[in-house]
Amino acid sequence: MNVTALSSPVSTPSVSKWQMVRPWLGTLARLGLAAVWLVAGGTKVGDLAASGRAVNAYDVMPYDIAKVVGAALPFVEIALGLLLLAGVATRVAAGISTALLVVFIAGIASAWARGLQIDCGCFGSGGQLAAGQSPTYGPEIARDLGFLVLAGFLLIYPLTRWSVDSWMERE
Amino acid sequence: MSTRVGQKQAARMVRDQIAREKRRSRTLWTTIIAIAAVVIAGMIGWGIYASQDSGTYVAPAGATADGSGISVGSGTVKIEVYEDFICPACGQFETQTGATLDQLVEDGKVTIVYHPVAYLDRASTTDYSTRASAASGAAAEGGKFREYAKALFAKQPAEGSAGLSDNELIEIGRSIGLGDAFAQAVRDGKYKSWTSHVTDEASEAGVTGTPTVKVNGKDVQPTTQAILAAVG
Repeated sequence: MNVTALSSPVSTPSVSKWQMVRPWLGTLARLGLAAVWLVAGGTKVGDLAASGRAVNAYDVMPYDIAKVVGAALPFVEIALGLLLLAGVATRVAAGISTALLVVFIAGIASAWARGLQIDCGCFGSGGQLAAGQSPTYGPEIARDLGFLVLAGFLLIYPLTRWSVDSWMERE
Repeated sequence: MSTRVGQKQAARMVRDQIAREKRRSRTLWTTIIAIAAVVIAGMIGWGIYASQDSGTYVAPAGATADGSGISVGSGTVKIEVYEDFICPACGQFETQTGATLDQLVEDGKVTIVYHPVAYLDRASTTDYSTRASAASGAAAEGGKFREYAKALFAKQPAEGSAGLSDNELIEIGRSIGLGDAFAQAVRDGKYKSWTSHVTDEASEAGVTGTPTVKVNGKDVQPTTQAILAAVG
């Protein structure tokens, strides 16, 4: 977990600047990703049946399994959001986030490839689009890739300022 | 002198060793706790959903045997219509194609099963989709499903609004001749569990949006032309 050992032993000014800025960048990434998960989970948690239907709209698993995934997902997202917000086990939370985002991107890409006319259901709504509405798979994937960058940063540099992790490290 | 330095070094090495061990076990434990938290959160979600889904329902008169919709007419061609009372495209569909469908029923050509699904509860602040669908079930019990559905679409509330209140739903029923039993059923939410059943069955059938129209089991564009062509 000693991440500083990864950087170059040659102490040029630019390296030390990076070392100073990095934990704060990490804090921004952590809080940003926390907000993403909390909003994503929060908008879905009020209607779990609808969340199941949004998963079912991807047509990649039987409806009975889609219902389970749809009901569990908002709570998993909120749990990840809370872990990241507090900065507890940041590397683990970032790892699960990365895995989830990869699955989401694969799902959207597959819906795109199969020509489905659905809303990704990423932040609530979801399901079939109304007539005249066109899907926005490209922007949805681009957005998820952006989130993936945040998760990847935290996976590599999990120690950030204002986190329980760094507080425990100092104890 | 070397022994002194050696002892100090040894002591430091032991201290470092202990600190490393401590850190390692702390990391292990926070990892376990974090993964457990995520898994438990998922299980809570499933538990809540499973407890909401009681599975029992009272189907109104006129419902199909599997309770998934209201059957109208007695023709040989089977049309299925999946609609949500707040969905704007469903409102347009009713305006443009509703009369044609009624004519087909009157001519004895088709049997139409209407599935009043509640996909869009989030599109209103009061779960209008569920309340309206349950009220249409009460209207079916009173023998006036189609009349009531048309009256609801004629007064369709905008997405994002509070929808029509229960009193307004009752008032619309009275205007087409539904009585006190209807009013009581709307107030009690008597057919809400039936609405969940209708919605669940529709998802099970692979319906992901509204309006969806099927003629003899095949998806058909929700337009007058396409439906007439499919009915033949």
